[in-house]
Amino acid sequence: MKLVLLGREFEIEVVGSTDESRTVQIDGVPVDAALARLGDGSALIRLGERSFRAYAGRLNEATLVAVGPAHFRITAIEGVRLRQARGLASAEVAAPMPGKVLRILVAEGDEVGEGQPLLILEAMKTETTLRAESAARVKRINVSAGQTVDHGDLLIELSPTSGPSAPEAEAPES
Amino acid sequence: MLASSTGGDRFIAPAAMMRGRGYGSLGAKMGRRTLRKLLVANRGEIALRIIRSARLMGIATVAVFSEADRESAHLAAADEAFSIGPAEAQHSYLNIGAILEAADRTGADAIHPGYGFLSERPEFARAVEDHGLIFVGPPAGVMELLGDKAAARRLAVASGIPVIPGIESGDPAAVQGLGAASGFPLVVKAAAGGGGRGMRLVREASEIQPALEAATREAHTAFGDGRLLVERYLEEPRHVEVQLMGDGRGKVIALGDRDCSIQRRYQKLLEESPAPGLSEGLRQQLTDAALRLASRARYRSAGTAEFLVAGDRFYFLEVNARLQVEHPVTEMRYGCDLVGEQLRVAQGDALSEVPMPRGCAIECRVNAEEPEHDFRPATGEVLYLHLPAGPNVRVDTSLQPGAVVSAHYDGLLAKVVCFGLTREEARMRMISALGEFTLAGVPHTAALMRDIVASEPFSEVRLSTRFIQRWFRDWQPDADTVRAALVAAALLTGRDRAMPSAAGGSSRRADGDRSPWTRLGHFELWSRQ
Repeated sequence: MKLVLLGREFEIEVVGSTDESRTVQIDGVPVDAALARLGDGSALIRLGERSFRAYAGRLNEATLVAVGPAHFRITAIEGVRLRQARGLASAEVAAPMPGKVLRILVAEGDEVGEGQPLLILEAMKTETTLRAESAARVKRINVSAGQTVDHGDLLIELSPTSGPSAPEAEAPES
Repeated sequence: MLASSTGGDRFIAPAAMMRGRGYGSLGAKMGRRTLRKLLVANRGEIALRIIRSARLMGIATVAVFSEADRESAHLAAADEAFSIGPAEAQHSYLNIGAILEAADRTGADAIHPGYGFLSERPEFARAVEDHGLIFVGPPAGVMELLGDKAAARRLAVASGIPVIPGIESGDPAAVQGLGAASGFPLVVKAAAGGGGRGMRLVREASEIQPALEAATREAHTAFGDGRLLVERYLEEPRHVEVQLMGDGRGKVIALGDRDCSIQRRYQKLLEESPAPGLSEGLRQQLTDAALRLASRARYRSAGTAEFLVAGDRFYFLEVNARLQVEHPVTEMRYGCDLVGEQLRVAQGDALSEVPMPRGCAIECRVNAEEPEHDFRPATGEVLYLHLPAGPNVRVDTSLQPGAVVSAHYDGLLAKVVCFGLTREEARMRMISALGEFTLAGVPHTAALMRDIVASEPFSEVRLSTRFIQRWFRDWQPDADTVRAALVAAALLTGRDRAMPSAAGGSSRRADGDRSPWTRLGHFELWSRQ
């Protein structure tokens, strides 16, 4: 499977498995990981000399992983591929950071083009414009101007346009 | 002075030594008034911190909470909890009327504001005292004096304390004079502004004219006020501060210095005491300057005098008239309880003797932020939490599994504080402690902090307020950590596909039925794929 972490893509495959270990191929390079279960629900992952306490949970389309003191947001590309087949880069416009909805620039039912501004978010006293990653129809707007939103909140839902449309390359998260 | 290190009770002042000596208008309290019930007008780790000290002194405690904090740790810690309004701080933690009402309804006789929120609002301190309650902090008059930048600067100048050379003028000839007298570079700022708007750097005399013109234009556009302020620009200063405690009757003491140079967006990330690598002469000058200021202001309670240090020179920056986030590093070194001391001073007890400091203490703040994305604020829900512990490791936090970190409040998640007899020992202990800090569900800065403390520039005391830009601009977790994360994600994703019904768990979010969370519960690694 393809995973995206810190903006980088990794090809991951579990190629070996015992009760206490896994061999995971990361971009073709095998990594042996010894595993141990800890009583509090976390796991110990040992790579060579270093071991990491790890825990994972999911938020929308992302997997949140804690590894020692580090924290990652990891997304699988699979779901994105499916939508791309329907000509839609992303079916959801989620808040990339906590903030306030300043203005909504579209209405439900609107057809929008790739790169068209959908909504302006104010965070840390800076305005961020969220744009359509591909041509789409605005299916639902879940927020109103002035509303405070958290990171990951679903702001706008999109559906494929009625007209023909070519698959778009995956755009980076706004 | 007690030179031994026998711990806690050095700070216990003989009760009721002070009687009714009134001093001037800056709020000296008359006589002694025993605190019985303390309302803590704050939330998060600092509310817990204050409640703990009050409990040690036998003072009952009242927590206040907004709708968003209904399940927060500080409620459970207090003897009573009182709801003060909706999640928005403006209508709860910043709502003076609601807080005074909570005090009335619970019969509290004193209010501790913590830091942030209302802690430095003179009108709050005044309202509390006008209400017949004790305000645990400096009097409103002192806050007003020190809170106004220009007034505080004048007080510093009058006390013979160096301030950054500067002029309140956009006249080219005057600016030329400043450059000649203090040297370049200079920085031109909008007098009315803040946040870096209208700021221009002037590296040599020929740049003065265009910089003044551009800054005036920008100041007009941004603030409707073209007045300029020109100062000597310090390229890579250190931020050093002195902890103060005053009794409000003219006696003030200093409890050492702290270096807080490691910052992002002008907010501190790491603090340590003592400030490393200062000459004893400079350290003494800083302490003397801080004491002079506090003494002139007839300071009461805990406060901090902040300075910028460049080479062997120092400049007054400001006074923070409150307890500071980083007060634990001072407590670790001095074996004292600054909140306890605030409470004792508030009820009219005399200041304790200055205890003997020892060793070094470092504090790392863990914030809900993504350091890989320019420290943008993050939110989430705590799915898993493992906190460091051990000898000489202190963790101040209100985190608990299930806690929701929302965008409503400050993103400080935890403070990890480590003590050592030497800086190196404290540093090693911190590297180890942060290695134990594991939190899933909310992006945070613990890994960055660990890497900072382990880095050569930190170890070699190459500290400046530009430390992060200079050394950690494009920081990312190391390759092994990334590999371990990918392994964990691969295992979880595989299991997720095999057992979709395993997803479950409940939402604790107050804002609706659609929780974005899918909880996978325990991280199961034994289901072969």
